[in-house]
Amino acid sequence: MHKIKLQSVYISLLLAYICILFPWSDFVLSFRPDFMLLVILFWLLRAPNLCSVGTAWFMGLWVDLAMGGTFGQYALAYTITAFFAVVYQRRLVLFSKTQQLVYVFLLLVLSQIVLLILKAFAGSQFIGWSYFIPSFTGVVFWQIAVSLGLNTGRHSHGK
Amino acid sequence: MMRGIHQNFDQQPAPAFFVRGPSPVARLMFFTALSLALMATDSRLQYLNNVRQTLMSLLQPLQAVASAPSNIYAFTNEYFSTHHHLLAENQQLKKQALRQNVDLQKLKLLTLENENLRGLLQAQQSLAETSTLAEIEYVGRDAFTKKIVVNRGTNHLIVTGAAAVDAKGVIGQVTRTYPATSEVTLITDKSLAIPVQIERNGLRAIAFGHGRDNTLELPYLPANVDIKVGDQLVTSGIDGIYPAGLAVASILKMNTSPDSPFARIVCVPTAGIENSRQVLLVSVPKAKAENNPKQGLNQNSKVLSAAEKANVPIAQPIAAHQAGVKPADLSLTNTEPAAMQKPVVQERKADHAQN
Repeated sequence: MHKIKLQSVYISLLLAYICILFPWSDFVLSFRPDFMLLVILFWLLRAPNLCSVGTAWFMGLWVDLAMGGTFGQYALAYTITAFFAVVYQRRLVLFSKTQQLVYVFLLLVLSQIVLLILKAFAGSQFIGWSYFIPSFTGVVFWQIAVSLGLNTGRHSHGK
Repeated sequence: MMRGIHQNFDQQPAPAFFVRGPSPVARLMFFTALSLALMATDSRLQYLNNVRQTLMSLLQPLQAVASAPSNIYAFTNEYFSTHHHLLAENQQLKKQALRQNVDLQKLKLLTLENENLRGLLQAQQSLAETSTLAEIEYVGRDAFTKKIVVNRGTNHLIVTGAAAVDAKGVIGQVTRTYPATSEVTLITDKSLAIPVQIERNGLRAIAFGHGRDNTLELPYLPANVDIKVGDQLVTSGIDGIYPAGLAVASILKMNTSPDSPFARIVCVPTAGIENSRQVLLVSVPKAKAENNPKQGLNQNSKVLSAAEKANVPIAQPIAAHQAGVKPADLSLTNTEPAAMQKPVVQERKADHAQN
Protein backbone atom coordinates (compact mmCIF):
# COMPACT_ATOMS: atom_id res chain seq x y z
CA MET A 1 0.00 0.00 0.00
CA HIS A 2 1.48 3.29 -1.03
CA LYS A 3 1.72 6.18 1.31
CA ILE A 4 -0.87 8.92 0.89
CA LYS A 5 0.58 12.28 0.11
CA LEU A 6 -0.49 15.39 1.96
CA GLN A 7 -0.89 17.05 -1.41
CA SER A 8 -3.73 14.78 -2.47
CA VAL A 9 -5.57 15.63 0.75
CA TYR A 10 -5.29 19.33 0.08
CA ILE A 11 -6.22 19.04 -3.58
CA SER A 12 -9.32 16.99 -2.81
CA LEU A 13 -10.36 19.50 -0.14
CA LEU A 14 -9.89 22.32 -2.64
CA LEU A 15 -12.00 20.48 -5.21
CA ALA A 16 -14.72 19.91 -2.62
CA TYR A 17 -14.64 23.61 -1.85
CA ILE A 18 -15.04 24.50 -5.53
CA CYS A 19 -18.03 22.15 -5.60
CA ILE A 20 -19.54 24.20 -2.79
CA LEU A 21 -18.82 27.46 -4.64
CA PHE A 22 -20.49 26.14 -7.78
CA PRO A 23 -23.51 28.31 -8.64
CA TRP A 24 -26.25 25.79 -7.90
CA SER A 25 -29.82 26.61 -8.67
CA ASP A 26 -32.26 26.83 -5.80
CA PHE A 27 -33.77 23.42 -6.49
CA VAL A 28 -30.51 21.51 -6.80
CA LEU A 29 -29.26 23.31 -3.72
CA SER A 30 -31.73 21.46 -1.51
CA PHE A 31 -30.34 18.13 -2.75
CA ARG A 32 -26.68 19.03 -2.78
CA PRO A 33 -24.68 16.88 -0.36
CA ASP A 34 -22.10 18.45 1.90
CA PHE A 35 -19.10 17.66 -0.34
CA MET A 36 -16.66 19.18 2.08
CA LEU A 37 -17.75 17.04 5.00
CA LEU A 38 -17.74 13.91 2.84
CA VAL A 39 -14.15 14.54 1.78
CA ILE A 40 -13.10 15.32 5.34
CA LEU A 41 -14.75 12.13 6.64
CA PHE A 42 -13.07 10.11 3.92
CA TRP A 43 -9.63 11.37 4.87
CA LEU A 44 -10.37 10.99 8.57
CA LEU A 45 -11.02 7.29 7.98
CA ARG A 46 -8.33 6.76 5.40
CA ALA A 47 -5.48 8.88 6.68
CA PRO A 48 -6.08 10.08 10.23
CA ASN A 49 -2.47 11.15 10.44
CA LEU A 50 -2.95 13.72 7.69
CA CYS A 51 -6.43 14.97 8.44
CA SER A 52 -7.65 15.68 11.93
CA VAL A 53 -10.24 17.60 13.91
CA GLY A 54 -8.20 20.73 13.25
CA THR A 55 -8.43 20.26 9.48
CA ALA A 56 -12.19 19.87 9.79
CA TRP A 57 -12.41 23.04 11.83
CA PHE A 58 -10.27 25.01 9.37
CA MET A 59 -12.25 23.87 6.33
CA GLY A 60 -15.44 24.60 8.27
CA LEU A 61 -14.35 28.21 8.52
CA TRP A 62 -13.99 28.43 4.75
CA VAL A 63 -17.41 26.88 4.28
CA ASP A 64 -18.77 29.47 6.71
CA LEU A 65 -17.28 32.16 4.52
CA ALA A 66 -18.88 30.70 1.39
CA MET A 67 -22.26 30.29 3.08
CA GLY A 68 -22.22 33.87 4.26
CA GLY A 69 -23.43 33.04 7.76
CA THR A 70 -21.83 33.76 11.11
CA PHE A 71 -18.22 32.60 11.32
CA GLY A 72 -17.81 29.41 13.33
CA GLN A 73 -21.11 27.63 12.68
CA TYR A 74 -19.90 25.14 10.11
CA ALA A 75 -16.54 25.05 11.87
CA LEU A 76 -18.20 23.83 15.06
CA ALA A 77 -20.46 21.37 13.25
CA TYR A 78 -17.48 19.89 11.40
CA THR A 79 -15.36 19.79 14.56
CA ILE A 80 -17.94 17.75 16.46
CA THR A 81 -18.56 15.42 13.52
CA ALA A 82 -14.85 14.94 12.94
CA PHE A 83 -14.39 14.13 16.61
CA PHE A 84 -16.87 11.26 16.42
CA ALA A 85 -15.26 10.04 13.23
CA VAL A 86 -11.77 10.09 14.78
CA VAL A 87 -12.80 8.45 18.03
CA TYR A 88 -14.27 5.44 16.24
CA GLN A 89 -11.81 5.47 13.33
CA ARG A 90 -9.98 2.27 14.42
CA ARG A 91 -13.26 0.40 14.67
CA LEU A 92 -14.73 1.97 11.54
CA VAL A 93 -12.06 0.67 9.20
CA LEU A 94 -12.91 -2.84 10.39
CA PHE A 95 -16.61 -2.39 9.72
CA SER A 96 -18.28 -3.86 6.69
CA LYS A 97 -19.20 -1.48 3.89
CA THR A 98 -22.84 -1.32 4.96
CA GLN A 99 -21.92 -0.60 8.56
CA GLN A 100 -19.56 2.11 7.39
CA LEU A 101 -22.31 3.59 5.27
CA VAL A 102 -24.71 3.73 8.20
CA TYR A 103 -22.06 5.35 10.36
CA VAL A 104 -21.25 7.95 7.71
CA PHE A 105 -24.96 8.70 7.42
CA LEU A 106 -25.20 9.19 11.19
CA LEU A 107 -22.22 11.53 11.08
CA LEU A 108 -23.75 13.59 8.26
CA VAL A 109 -27.03 13.86 10.17
CA LEU A 110 -25.11 14.80 13.31
CA SER A 111 -23.41 17.69 11.54
CA GLN A 112 -26.76 18.90 10.23
CA ILE A 113 -28.35 18.68 13.68
CA VAL A 114 -25.50 20.67 15.23
CA LEU A 115 -25.92 23.25 12.51
CA LEU A 116 -29.67 23.34 13.03
CA ILE A 117 -29.21 23.99 16.75
CA LEU A 118 -26.71 26.77 16.08
CA LYS A 119 -29.02 28.35 13.49
CA ALA A 120 -31.94 28.08 15.90
CA PHE A 121 -29.91 30.03 18.46
CA ALA A 122 -29.24 32.65 15.81
CA GLY A 123 -33.00 33.04 15.30
CA SER A 124 -33.58 30.97 12.17
CA GLN A 125 -36.57 28.76 11.72
CA PHE A 126 -36.59 25.03 10.91
CA ILE A 127 -37.15 24.82 7.16
CA GLY A 128 -38.90 21.46 7.21
CA TRP A 129 -37.80 17.87 6.95
CA SER A 130 -36.38 18.45 3.48
CA TYR A 131 -33.49 19.98 5.40
CA PHE A 132 -32.10 16.48 5.95
CA ILE A 133 -32.13 15.48 2.26
CA PRO A 134 -28.41 16.38 1.82
CA SER A 135 -27.51 13.66 4.34
CA PHE A 136 -29.24 11.07 2.17
CA THR A 137 -27.68 12.32 -1.05
CA GLY A 138 -24.35 12.44 0.78
CA VAL A 139 -24.61 8.74 1.60
CA VAL A 140 -25.57 8.02 -2.01
CA PHE A 141 -22.43 9.84 -3.15
CA TRP A 142 -20.36 7.89 -0.64
CA GLN A 143 -21.78 4.62 -1.93
CA ILE A 144 -21.13 5.62 -5.55
CA ALA A 145 -17.53 6.52 -4.67
CA VAL A 146 -17.04 3.21 -2.84
CA SER A 147 -18.51 1.15 -5.66
CA LEU A 148 -16.29 3.01 -8.13
CA GLY A 149 -13.37 1.64 -6.19
CA LEU A 150 -12.54 4.36 -3.70
CA ASN A 151 -10.74 2.76 -0.80
CA THR A 152 -12.29 3.98 2.44
CA GLY A 153 -9.58 2.40 4.55
CA ARG A 154 -11.22 -0.99 4.98
CA HIS A 155 -9.05 -3.02 2.66
CA SER A 156 -5.75 -1.48 3.63
CA HIS A 157 -5.59 -3.89 6.55
CA GLY A 158 -5.89 -7.04 4.54
CA LYS A 159 -2.73 -6.37 2.59
CA MET B 1 7.90 -14.40 11.77
CA MET B 2 9.31 -11.45 13.67
CA ARG B 3 10.54 -10.00 10.46
CA GLY B 4 7.05 -10.27 8.97
CA ILE B 5 5.48 -8.37 11.84
CA HIS B 6 8.19 -5.77 11.61
CA GLN B 7 7.51 -5.32 7.93
CA ASN B 8 3.83 -5.04 8.64
CA PHE B 9 4.55 -2.12 10.95
CA ASP B 10 6.70 -0.47 8.34
CA GLN B 11 3.96 -0.66 5.81
CA GLN B 12 1.58 1.35 7.97
CA PRO B 13 1.15 4.85 6.51
CA ALA B 14 2.42 6.30 9.75
CA PRO B 15 2.73 5.08 13.31
CA ALA B 16 -0.74 6.42 13.94
CA PHE B 17 -1.29 4.59 17.21
CA PHE B 18 0.95 6.65 19.45
CA VAL B 19 2.11 9.70 17.55
CA ARG B 20 -1.17 11.52 17.36
CA GLY B 21 -0.46 14.72 19.14
CA PRO B 22 -3.13 15.93 21.55
CA SER B 23 -6.01 13.54 22.20
CA PRO B 24 -9.17 13.96 20.11
CA VAL B 25 -11.06 15.13 23.20
CA ALA B 26 -8.54 17.89 23.80
CA ARG B 27 -8.77 18.91 20.15
CA LEU B 28 -12.56 18.86 20.29
CA MET B 29 -12.56 21.09 23.36
CA PHE B 30 -10.05 23.50 21.88
CA PHE B 31 -11.73 23.90 18.49
CA THR B 32 -15.22 24.03 19.99
CA ALA B 33 -14.14 26.87 22.24
CA LEU B 34 -12.52 28.60 19.29
CA SER B 35 -15.68 28.25 17.18
CA LEU B 36 -17.90 29.55 19.97
CA ALA B 37 -15.59 32.52 20.48
CA LEU B 38 -15.66 33.23 16.75
CA MET B 39 -19.44 33.03 16.62
CA ALA B 40 -19.78 35.41 19.54
CA THR B 41 -17.29 37.84 18.02
CA ASP B 42 -18.89 37.76 14.62
CA SER B 43 -22.47 38.14 15.74
CA ARG B 44 -21.99 40.67 18.55
CA LEU B 45 -18.96 42.71 17.53
CA GLN B 46 -18.02 44.09 14.16
CA TYR B 47 -14.33 43.11 14.17
CA LEU B 48 -14.61 40.37 11.57
CA ASN B 49 -16.18 42.43 8.78
CA ASN B 50 -12.82 43.42 7.35
CA VAL B 51 -11.52 39.87 7.66
CA ARG B 52 -14.56 38.61 5.78
CA GLN B 53 -14.07 41.20 3.04
CA THR B 54 -10.40 40.31 2.59
CA LEU B 55 -11.06 36.58 2.53
CA MET B 56 -13.89 37.04 0.05
CA SER B 57 -11.61 38.90 -2.33
CA LEU B 58 -9.11 36.05 -1.98
CA LEU B 59 -11.93 33.69 -2.85
CA GLN B 60 -12.74 35.55 -6.05
CA PRO B 61 -10.50 33.47 -8.38
CA LEU B 62 -11.90 30.22 -6.95
CA GLN B 63 -15.41 31.53 -7.44
CA ALA B 64 -14.55 32.37 -11.03
CA VAL B 65 -13.35 28.80 -11.58
CA ALA B 66 -16.50 27.41 -10.03
CA SER B 67 -18.75 29.69 -12.07
CA ALA B 68 -16.94 29.02 -15.33
CA PRO B 69 -19.01 26.01 -16.50
CA SER B 70 -22.34 27.77 -16.10
CA ASN B 71 -20.96 30.96 -17.63
CA ILE B 72 -19.70 29.07 -20.65
CA TYR B 73 -23.06 27.36 -20.99
CA ALA B 74 -24.90 30.69 -20.82
CA PHE B 75 -22.53 32.21 -23.35
CA THR B 76 -22.87 29.41 -25.90
CA ASN B 77 -26.61 29.38 -25.39
CA GLU B 78 -26.71 33.07 -26.19
CA TYR B 79 -24.35 32.69 -29.12
CA PHE B 80 -26.34 29.95 -30.79
CA SER B 81 -29.77 31.44 -30.17
CA THR B 82 -31.83 31.22 -33.32
CA HIS B 83 -32.57 33.97 -35.80
CA HIS B 84 -36.29 33.46 -35.36
CA HIS B 85 -36.05 33.80 -31.60
CA LEU B 86 -34.06 37.03 -31.88
CA LEU B 87 -36.54 38.49 -34.36
CA ALA B 88 -39.47 37.71 -32.11
CA GLU B 89 -37.69 39.26 -29.16
CA ASN B 90 -36.81 42.32 -31.21
CA GLN B 91 -40.45 42.77 -32.22
CA GLN B 92 -41.58 42.48 -28.65
CA LEU B 93 -38.98 44.94 -27.40
CA LYS B 94 -39.95 47.46 -30.08
CA LYS B 95 -43.56 47.29 -29.01
CA GLN B 96 -42.55 47.67 -25.42
CA ALA B 97 -40.32 50.64 -26.23
CA LEU B 98 -43.17 52.36 -28.07
CA ARG B 99 -45.52 51.89 -25.15
CA GLN B 100 -42.94 53.13 -22.70
CA ASN B 101 -42.08 56.13 -24.85
CA VAL B 102 -45.66 57.31 -24.63
CA ASP B 103 -45.55 56.87 -20.88
CA LEU B 104 -42.24 58.69 -20.72
CA GLN B 105 -43.63 61.76 -22.48
CA LYS B 106 -46.38 62.00 -19.92
CA LEU B 107 -43.82 61.44 -17.23
CA LYS B 108 -41.84 64.55 -18.16
CA LEU B 109 -44.96 66.64 -17.90
CA LEU B 110 -45.88 65.09 -14.59
CA THR B 111 -42.39 65.58 -13.19
CA LEU B 112 -42.59 69.26 -14.01
CA GLU B 113 -46.05 69.51 -12.54
CA ASN B 114 -44.92 67.68 -9.45
CA GLU B 115 -41.97 70.01 -8.95
CA ASN B 116 -44.23 73.02 -9.24
CA LEU B 117 -46.69 71.57 -6.76
CA ARG B 118 -43.91 70.74 -4.35
CA GLY B 119 -42.70 74.29 -4.74
CA LEU B 120 -46.14 75.58 -3.86
CA LEU B 121 -46.30 73.30 -0.82
CA GLN B 122 -42.76 74.37 0.13
CA ALA B 123 -41.90 70.70 0.32
CA GLN B 124 -38.40 69.46 -0.24
CA GLN B 125 -37.59 68.58 -3.81
CA SER B 126 -37.16 64.91 -4.33
CA LEU B 127 -33.66 63.72 -5.05
CA ALA B 128 -32.86 61.42 -7.90
CA GLU B 129 -31.64 58.03 -6.77
CA THR B 130 -28.61 56.35 -8.25
CA SER B 131 -28.95 52.93 -9.76
CA THR B 132 -26.56 50.27 -11.00
CA LEU B 133 -27.40 47.26 -13.11
CA ALA B 134 -26.10 44.01 -11.66
CA GLU B 135 -26.32 40.39 -12.61
CA ILE B 136 -27.04 37.56 -10.21
CA GLU B 137 -23.96 35.40 -9.76
CA TYR B 138 -25.41 32.67 -7.62
CA VAL B 139 -28.15 31.90 -5.16
CA GLY B 140 -27.23 31.97 -1.48
CA ARG B 141 -26.01 28.56 -0.38
CA ASP B 142 -27.42 28.66 3.10
CA ALA B 143 -30.77 26.90 3.30
CA PHE B 144 -31.85 29.01 6.27
CA THR B 145 -31.66 32.37 4.56
CA LYS B 146 -32.94 33.74 1.29
CA LYS B 147 -30.08 35.52 -0.36
CA ILE B 148 -28.57 36.12 -3.75
CA VAL B 149 -25.11 37.34 -4.65
CA VAL B 150 -24.75 39.86 -7.47
CA ASN B 151 -21.68 40.88 -9.44
CA ARG B 152 -21.39 44.47 -8.27
CA GLY B 153 -19.63 45.50 -5.09
CA THR B 154 -17.81 48.30 -3.32
CA ASN B 155 -15.64 48.71 -6.42
CA HIS B 156 -18.79 49.83 -8.21
CA LEU B 157 -19.83 52.11 -5.33
CA ILE B 158 -22.54 49.81 -4.03
CA VAL B 159 -23.36 50.52 -0.40
CA THR B 160 -25.17 48.34 2.11
CA GLY B 161 -28.80 49.27 2.35
CA ALA B 162 -29.35 49.79 -1.37
CA ALA B 163 -32.61 48.36 -2.68
CA ALA B 164 -32.55 45.60 -5.30
CA VAL B 165 -35.28 45.86 -7.91
CA ASP B 166 -36.16 43.97 -11.06
CA ALA B 167 -38.54 44.94 -13.87
CA LYS B 168 -41.58 43.86 -11.87
CA GLY B 169 -40.80 45.09 -8.41
CA VAL B 170 -38.66 44.95 -5.30
CA ILE B 171 -36.46 41.90 -4.80
CA GLY B 172 -34.59 42.75 -1.64
CA GLN B 173 -31.90 44.81 -0.06
CA VAL B 174 -28.10 44.80 -0.16
CA THR B 175 -26.97 43.55 3.24
CA ARG B 176 -23.28 42.94 2.71
CA THR B 177 -20.81 44.33 0.23
CA TYR B 178 -17.55 42.81 -0.90
CA PRO B 179 -15.08 44.39 -3.35
CA ALA B 180 -16.50 42.75 -6.47
CA THR B 181 -19.78 41.26 -5.29
CA SER B 182 -22.54 42.06 -2.90
CA GLU B 183 -25.08 40.03 -1.04
CA VAL B 184 -28.77 40.82 -1.43
CA THR B 185 -31.20 39.56 1.19
CA LEU B 186 -34.51 38.82 -0.51
CA ILE B 187 -37.78 40.22 0.78
CA THR B 188 -38.90 36.67 1.48
CA ASP B 189 -36.11 36.24 4.05
CA LYS B 190 -37.35 36.07 7.61
CA SER B 191 -35.06 38.82 8.81
CA LEU B 192 -36.11 41.40 6.27
CA ALA B 193 -38.98 43.82 6.81
CA ILE B 194 -40.20 46.28 4.22
CA PRO B 195 -42.56 49.23 4.78
CA VAL B 196 -45.43 49.01 2.32
CA GLN B 197 -48.64 50.72 1.40
CA ILE B 198 -51.79 49.24 -0.04
CA GLU B 199 -52.05 50.78 -3.48
CA ARG B 200 -55.84 50.88 -3.36
CA ASN B 201 -56.36 52.84 -0.14
CA GLY B 202 -52.94 54.05 0.99
CA LEU B 203 -52.99 51.98 4.17
CA ARG B 204 -49.49 51.59 5.55
CA ALA B 205 -48.07 48.36 6.94
CA ILE B 206 -44.83 46.47 7.27
CA ALA B 207 -44.33 43.25 5.33
CA PHE B 208 -42.09 40.56 6.78
CA GLY B 209 -40.56 37.72 4.85
CA HIS B 210 -41.99 34.34 5.76
CA GLY B 211 -38.68 32.57 5.26
CA ARG B 212 -40.04 29.28 4.00
CA ASP B 213 -42.21 29.22 0.91
CA ASN B 214 -41.45 32.48 -0.89
CA THR B 215 -44.25 34.46 0.68
CA LEU B 216 -44.51 37.56 2.79
CA GLU B 217 -46.70 38.27 5.79
CA LEU B 218 -48.47 41.36 7.02
CA PRO B 219 -48.63 40.90 10.77
CA TYR B 220 -50.15 43.14 13.45
CA LEU B 221 -53.06 44.31 11.35
CA PRO B 222 -56.52 44.19 12.98
CA ALA B 223 -59.01 41.60 11.81
CA ASN B 224 -61.29 44.25 10.33
CA VAL B 225 -58.58 45.88 8.23
CA ASP B 226 -59.55 47.04 4.75
CA ILE B 227 -57.54 44.57 2.70
CA LYS B 228 -58.86 42.33 -0.05
CA VAL B 229 -57.34 39.38 -1.80
CA GLY B 230 -55.55 40.67 -4.90
CA ASP B 231 -54.64 44.06 -3.46
CA GLN B 232 -51.26 45.37 -4.59
CA LEU B 233 -48.62 46.38 -2.08
CA VAL B 234 -46.15 49.10 -3.03
CA THR B 235 -43.22 50.51 -1.09
CA SER B 236 -44.18 53.48 1.04
CA GLY B 237 -40.70 55.01 1.04
CA ILE B 238 -40.94 55.84 4.73
CA ASP B 239 -37.76 53.96 5.56
CA GLY B 240 -35.63 56.10 3.23
CA ILE B 241 -34.24 52.90 1.70
CA TYR B 242 -36.70 51.89 -0.95
CA PRO B 243 -37.91 54.52 -3.41
CA ALA B 244 -41.66 54.95 -2.96
CA GLY B 245 -44.14 53.31 -5.26
CA LEU B 246 -42.29 50.17 -6.27
CA ALA B 247 -44.44 47.07 -6.48
CA VAL B 248 -43.69 44.59 -3.70
CA ALA B 249 -46.36 41.93 -3.47
CA SER B 250 -50.01 41.12 -3.92
CA ILE B 251 -52.33 39.68 -1.30
CA LEU B 252 -52.74 35.94 -1.74
CA LYS B 253 -55.03 35.10 1.15
CA MET B 254 -56.40 36.65 4.26
CA ASN B 255 -57.65 34.67 7.23
CA THR B 256 -59.32 35.94 10.33
CA SER B 257 -59.90 33.68 13.26
CA PRO B 258 -62.29 34.52 16.09
CA ASP B 259 -59.68 33.94 18.79
CA SER B 260 -57.14 36.36 17.39
CA PRO B 261 -57.47 40.14 17.18
CA PHE B 262 -55.12 40.14 14.19
CA ALA B 263 -55.67 39.04 10.63
CA ARG B 264 -53.32 36.55 9.06
CA ILE B 265 -52.40 37.98 5.68
CA VAL B 266 -50.16 36.16 3.21
CA CYS B 267 -48.77 37.88 0.12
CA VAL B 268 -46.76 36.73 -2.89
CA PRO B 269 -43.95 38.90 -4.21
CA THR B 270 -44.57 40.52 -7.59
CA ALA B 271 -40.93 40.51 -8.62
CA GLY B 272 -39.48 37.39 -10.18
CA ILE B 273 -37.52 36.55 -7.06
CA GLU B 274 -36.57 33.12 -8.30
CA ASN B 275 -36.20 33.70 -12.01
CA SER B 276 -34.80 37.12 -12.85
CA ARG B 277 -31.16 37.30 -13.82
CA GLN B 278 -30.56 41.05 -13.84
CA VAL B 279 -31.35 43.33 -10.94
CA LEU B 280 -31.12 47.06 -10.47
CA LEU B 281 -29.45 48.26 -7.27
CA VAL B 282 -31.05 51.55 -6.29
CA SER B 283 -29.79 53.71 -3.47
CA VAL B 284 -31.62 56.76 -2.23
CA PRO B 285 -29.10 59.55 -1.60
CA LYS B 286 -28.54 60.41 2.03
CA ALA B 287 -27.09 63.89 1.49
CA LYS B 288 -30.15 65.67 2.87
CA ALA B 289 -28.72 66.84 6.16
CA GLU B 290 -25.70 68.35 4.44
CA ASN B 291 -27.79 70.10 1.82
CA ASN B 292 -30.07 71.63 4.34
CA PRO B 293 -28.50 72.21 7.75
CA LYS B 294 -31.72 73.58 9.20
CA GLN B 295 -33.41 70.28 8.62
CA GLY B 296 -30.55 68.44 10.22
CA LEU B 297 -31.40 70.20 13.49
CA ASN B 298 -34.95 69.00 13.37
CA GLN B 299 -34.02 65.40 13.60
CA ASN B 300 -34.35 65.16 17.32
CA SER B 301 -36.58 62.15 17.27
CA LYS B 302 -36.75 59.08 15.14
CA VAL B 303 -40.39 59.66 14.25
CA LEU B 304 -39.63 63.10 12.94
CA SER B 305 -36.75 61.94 10.82
CA ALA B 306 -38.85 59.09 9.51
CA ALA B 307 -41.50 61.57 8.45
CA GLU B 308 -38.85 63.66 6.77
CA LYS B 309 -37.43 60.71 5.01
CA ALA B 310 -40.88 59.90 3.78
CA ASN B 311 -40.83 63.22 2.09
CA VAL B 312 -37.90 62.53 -0.09
CA PRO B 313 -38.93 59.64 -2.19
CA ILE B 314 -42.69 59.86 -2.00
CA ALA B 315 -43.32 61.63 -5.24
CA GLN B 316 -40.95 60.04 -7.62
CA PRO B 317 -42.81 59.45 -10.80
CA ILE B 318 -40.10 57.18 -12.13
CA ALA B 319 -40.64 54.87 -9.22
CA ALA B 320 -44.39 54.88 -9.68
CA HIS B 321 -43.86 54.28 -13.34
CA GLN B 322 -41.73 51.25 -12.63
CA ALA B 323 -44.34 49.93 -10.30
CA GLY B 324 -46.70 49.59 -13.18
CA VAL B 325 -49.06 52.38 -12.12
CA LYS B 326 -50.88 53.53 -15.21
CA PRO B 327 -50.16 57.09 -16.28
CA ALA B 328 -53.80 57.96 -15.82
CA ASP B 329 -53.51 57.04 -12.17
CA LEU B 330 -50.86 59.66 -11.72
CA SER B 331 -52.96 62.57 -12.92
CA LEU B 332 -54.21 64.76 -10.14
CA THR B 333 -57.86 64.39 -11.04
CA ASN B 334 -57.68 60.83 -9.84
CA THR B 335 -58.16 60.47 -6.13
CA GLU B 336 -56.01 57.40 -5.64
CA PRO B 337 -52.52 58.88 -5.67
CA ALA B 338 -53.78 61.82 -3.71
CA ALA B 339 -54.93 59.39 -1.05
CA MET B 340 -51.56 57.74 -1.17
CA GLN B 341 -49.73 60.97 -0.63
CA LYS B 342 -52.12 62.40 1.88
CA PRO B 343 -50.81 60.80 5.07
CA VAL B 344 -47.31 61.90 4.28
CA VAL B 345 -48.36 65.46 3.62
CA GLN B 346 -50.14 65.48 6.95
CA GLU B 347 -47.03 64.28 8.67
CA ARG B 348 -45.11 66.98 6.95
CA LYS B 349 -47.49 69.58 8.32
CA ALA B 350 -47.17 68.15 11.80
CA ASP B 351 -43.47 68.37 11.35
CA HIS B 352 -43.72 72.05 10.49
CA ALA B 353 -46.00 72.69 13.42
CA GLN B 354 -43.46 71.25 15.79
CA ASN B 355 -40.75 73.41 14.35
